[in-house]
Amino acid sequence: MSSPAEALLKPLQIKHLTIRNRVMSTSHAPGYGSEGKPKERYQLYHEEKARGGIGLTMFGGSSSVAVDSPAAPWNQISVADDSVIPFFREFSDRVHRHGAALMIQLTHMGRRTRWDTENWLPTVSASAAREPAHRNTPKEMEDFDFKRIIAGYAAAARRCKEGGLDGFELSAAHGHLIDQFWSPSVNRRTDKYGGSLENRMRFGIEVFEAIRAEVGDDYVVGMRMSGDELIDDGLSHEDCIAIARTYAERGLIDFVNVLGGQARDHLAHAISLPNMSFPVAPFLHLASGIKREAGIPVFHAQRVTDLATAARAVEEGHVDMVAMTRAHIADPHLVRKLMEGRLDDVRQCVGAGYCIDRIYVGGDALCIQNAATGRERTMPHVIPKAERKRRVVVVGGGPGGLEAARVCAERGHSVVLLERNAAPGGQIGIAAKATWREAMSGITRWLSQQTIKLGVDVRLGVEADRAAIEAENPDVVILATGGRPNRGDFKGADLAVSTWDVLTGAVEPTGTVLMYDGTGQHHGASCAEFMAKRGALVEIATPDRMVAEEVGTTNQPIHLRELYKLNVMMTTNHQLVEIYQEGNRRVAVLRNEYTHEEEERLVDQIVVELGTLPNDALYFDLKDHSLNRGETDLDSLIAGRPQPVQANGHGGYTLHRIGDAVAGRNIHAAIYDAARLCKDI
Amino acid sequence: MIATALTTVVLAVLAIGAALAVWQSRRWLAGRPATVDVVAGLRALPGRYLVDVHHVVGRTPFNARFHALVAGGFLAALALLVAMGVAIGGSRIVWLLLAVVLAAMLAGALMVRYRRRVVRPRELSQGRFARLPLSLLGFSGCLLVVALDQSLGGVMPEALALVLVALAGVALADLVWGVWKGPLKHAVHGALHLAFHPRPARFHDGAGRDTGLTPLPLAPQGDAGTGGPSALGVERPVDFAWNRLLGFDACVQCGRCETVCPAYAAGLPLNPKKLVQDLVVAMDGRASDAAYAGNPHPGRGVGKAHGGAALPLVGPGAMIHPDTLWSCTTCRACVQECPMMIEHVDAVVDLRRFQTLELGATPAKAAVMLEELRATDTPGGRALARRWDWAADLSLPRLPAGGSCDTLLWVGDGAFDLRVQRALRALVLLLRRAGVDFAVLGDEELDCGDVARRLGDEATFQSLAVRNVAALNARRFTRIVTADPHALHTLRNEYPAFGGDWTVVHHTALLLELVTGGALTVTKPVGRSVTFHDPCYLGRYNGEIEAPRALLDAIGVERREMLRAGMRSSCCGGGGGAPLTDVAGERRIPDVRMEHARETGAALVAVACPNCALMLEGVVGPRPEVAEIAELVLAATETTR
Repeated sequence: MSSPAEALLKPLQIKHLTIRNRVMSTSHAPGYGSEGKPKERYQLYHEEKARGGIGLTMFGGSSSVAVDSPAAPWNQISVADDSVIPFFREFSDRVHRHGAALMIQLTHMGRRTRWDTENWLPTVSASAAREPAHRNTPKEMEDFDFKRIIAGYAAAARRCKEGGLDGFELSAAHGHLIDQFWSPSVNRRTDKYGGSLENRMRFGIEVFEAIRAEVGDDYVVGMRMSGDELIDDGLSHEDCIAIARTYAERGLIDFVNVLGGQARDHLAHAISLPNMSFPVAPFLHLASGIKREAGIPVFHAQRVTDLATAARAVEEGHVDMVAMTRAHIADPHLVRKLMEGRLDDVRQCVGAGYCIDRIYVGGDALCIQNAATGRERTMPHVIPKAERKRRVVVVGGGPGGLEAARVCAERGHSVVLLERNAAPGGQIGIAAKATWREAMSGITRWLSQQTIKLGVDVRLGVEADRAAIEAENPDVVILATGGRPNRGDFKGADLAVSTWDVLTGAVEPTGTVLMYDGTGQHHGASCAEFMAKRGALVEIATPDRMVAEEVGTTNQPIHLRELYKLNVMMTTNHQLVEIYQEGNRRVAVLRNEYTHEEEERLVDQIVVELGTLPNDALYFDLKDHSLNRGETDLDSLIAGRPQPVQANGHGGYTLHRIGDAVAGRNIHAAIYDAARLCKDI
Repeated sequence: MIATALTTVVLAVLAIGAALAVWQSRRWLAGRPATVDVVAGLRALPGRYLVDVHHVVGRTPFNARFHALVAGGFLAALALLVAMGVAIGGSRIVWLLLAVVLAAMLAGALMVRYRRRVVRPRELSQGRFARLPLSLLGFSGCLLVVALDQSLGGVMPEALALVLVALAGVALADLVWGVWKGPLKHAVHGALHLAFHPRPARFHDGAGRDTGLTPLPLAPQGDAGTGGPSALGVERPVDFAWNRLLGFDACVQCGRCETVCPAYAAGLPLNPKKLVQDLVVAMDGRASDAAYAGNPHPGRGVGKAHGGAALPLVGPGAMIHPDTLWSCTTCRACVQECPMMIEHVDAVVDLRRFQTLELGATPAKAAVMLEELRATDTPGGRALARRWDWAADLSLPRLPAGGSCDTLLWVGDGAFDLRVQRALRALVLLLRRAGVDFAVLGDEELDCGDVARRLGDEATFQSLAVRNVAALNARRFTRIVTADPHALHTLRNEYPAFGGDWTVVHHTALLLELVTGGALTVTKPVGRSVTFHDPCYLGRYNGEIEAPRALLDAIGVERREMLRAGMRSSCCGGGGGAPLTDVAGERRIPDVRMEHARETGAALVAVACPNCALMLEGVVGPRPEVAEIAELVLAATETTR
């Protein structure tokens, strides 16, 4: 196969618009909107991709065209009035400056939203069919609703054009209003909008006709749709092809952006946003099927994480534009790196789904491995060189330590990294042992490859102590020594083993095992799955209301599916209060969180997951010998200023502690700790 | 008595030498006819010898000195000896004068001996050349004794003097025998070659930067010269024009070409000296290279090659192995170094023309490239429109037929390559930054035909040239600028034969003009150590070695020079289709060149040619960074917005 560049770095012409290459980012909802507007943070996030060489970046997933399709709850964008236009203008100038094209997604979400927010209006849809994901029953649209909503679409389209955007797409995917009309699973109307596929397509056609009347035939207008809803009562692949053909042949749309599946329930939602348990590009065939029939450019996203797969999708003619949305969250400069022949330097998306999982718990989209994404105002994607070269010693080769070493080396410092284990990666190496979580190791792979490339003196299998560190004569010492399993302080805690013991192979899971998960994160669920796969009879118990409660919506359904498949017994709302020995077996005492009734389990092994406690002995050895006594100045850290210099007259070093060595958190926290501190060293 | 004997000996030997030369001339006169201005050539001869040849010889001062002493002393001695016999007679003053010139010759001969016996440069041929110091010393030493004796009145017994005269005569005979196949051959043929040179424009009195590659007449026609069927290019020695054959005969086997040949340095099977000697030997009726006493083509022994004046030159068992022919990068380092002004590269291309046009014997990847070129006018077989893919977001103005602009940007085939696209992007941004009114040809820009021509595919070259010239002549502009020295050379020096007559500048010259003229301001001096690698087609082919250096100085680099730089720079291995013919050697040519760069300790190698960028960036392992000059200028003239 030829270089990915051959297929991807080829312009695409759609009407007057030339998109400089075949790589794009689809509209999504990073939660960066403010008061319904794409303000600085939102714009900088997309500008970074434009600077990084992307052909087309689309923003504003589910941007609203009407008052009964609320945008504010997702910190998203409302295009329902003219006040958004100046923001569009500023936004498009910003992106065009770097040669990329900019588009938005417009939609009316119909029943796929909440009524109890923003304007407190009832939701509307084709029929009064209950939507399970948002737990609401919509009002069936009546004549004036059609008129108002269609006019809303058209007015929003005009705002895009006036705002200088290169085009937009309407969402008719994931069960939004247009595809609510299409889908027989929602549309039970008997008027001209219901019944035959032709009738069910009518509402969408009227919307696009109104849009064309408003913006003309020259403006680029597209549609996002499913290529197959993958449910019995939904749209089949053939239906979807017919819809795409009809809309295209009538000249209503200039491109179609195809995805697979729908999102009406938890698992469907997770499947439509495939995580690392899926193969790459699992639904490319659906886009390809539509490409064969539609006769207009086809865009496609869904776990295209690497440029080789992207190139294949284009080169083999499956799609015209390949969307690498999460891939750009991990590395907004991936096209530039392709152009510069630096494929090895691309920080590849591992499919952890951290970005999107954060959105659905009300946060903002952040990348598990790239701390600069979404923080472009304060965090650089390209680390500038420092004015003064320093000697930096980093202790610990987990994600925090590797990132600290990488950023310091990018700053031009002379960096030594000391890691106790024979391989870098820290806790990622343990997490990656758990079945489908294997791809987590990609985080380590990139970081350690970069540190080596940047000339960091990486010393593996070396236990650091004060003498060894001070022998390096450092200006700065960064301790990223990580944590150790918290084994709990309940009675008989010493009779349990940790998830680390199991995943590292120190303890072989056998017989009956109780997995007690106090964190609700990936660790407990993935360890339970690992043990069940190795033949143990596993029960997972948690004080939470659901197993893996803290895991987001694109990952938790996969955990649950796998645990159910393996017949893992799930016991929620129970606290582990005591373990005692009985023969060579153990008894776990579980107390119901609500009734305080106690139950016992007689098992062969008990595994507990309670997070980590910091490895801080080295820190306290060094603390009194450092210039700053180990204190990181938080105001400087947050303001992006260099740490204050506190010379003691004898030279010496400043000491910082990052990641789980301070307090057990997660990978993103460790990497952000490192990058935020080191970018100003 | 002594004088008479001497004059007789000298005249006799010279007569033999003249006879030998005349006999020899049959060999090179057998070549095809050539248009030569004999009178002008003879008139220009002293200037070409004293200026051009001496300029080359003088690069190694020791050699220049011994050559002046030996040749000057020898010629003066011969002249005096002849004069003594026929006119002025043997007065003591004349004998003394003879002693002085012989002493000079003796000194030179000792230097020659020192070089051959003590210094022993690897590139020197042995064989007949090994006797040279002895003959020179014998002639000058014996006669010096006689001349001194005669100047003192002749105290030596006459018999002894006659013995010395006889010994000198033997030495002289050996030297003059060299007119046949030995060292002295170069004197006679070198002089004639200078007078009747196939490329007179190369000398100081010409202004041309041409190659000798006149467009081949591609329409079928009879061959008046040999009466045989018309063939394109050169198959046999007799297919060369006579003055080219004469040029090969001028070779003195000094080996300067061998020491500079990039293919030889990398152990590819090409030694330019051996190549010329192969051609020389092949002029004989039934020939073998067995008597060749220099270094062979690397990896290939001596004695396996056979040929003749009317036999094919190229083939596995012929005088020149195909691998040797296709190893040449056409860098012209040999041409630049040759004190006899031999045109090795033109000979290589003439031979390749026959191989490609008549036999279709271009080696594999080169043949594929030529196929693509014929089908699509691009070397990679891509649509012409794709040449502009990299610039989709730059909105390059396209100059329509009939349109006009100040500067026409010729992007070349590098535009199809990721690496080169970065340099082109930098150049475009610089032109914009400097406010230059520029445009591009768009889909009417075809491959310029450089590689096709060097690979011997004259037909494809001409087809491209004619269409490119037509496209360019349909537009008005004050100059063409290009970042590709190969396109520069082709457009500037080879398209005039097809009716193209424009000002063509290299981007380094334009950027220098923009920086010195103030259109670009250096805001961030580079400050790093940089060594400049001269592209062969910019330096040796076009004499432009100053502008890139002045430009680098202007953007504040710490400039370091490689031992081989400027007009004597060493090739990256990317010219002449060599990356496509891809003949294996002991090393890769760019590795050798990168070694030169490493020796300077510079952090960065600046390049100014797409081929150089690709070849040098392809060097693996720790090495200096490679940057195109435009990229450095772009970074150095960054304006804060």
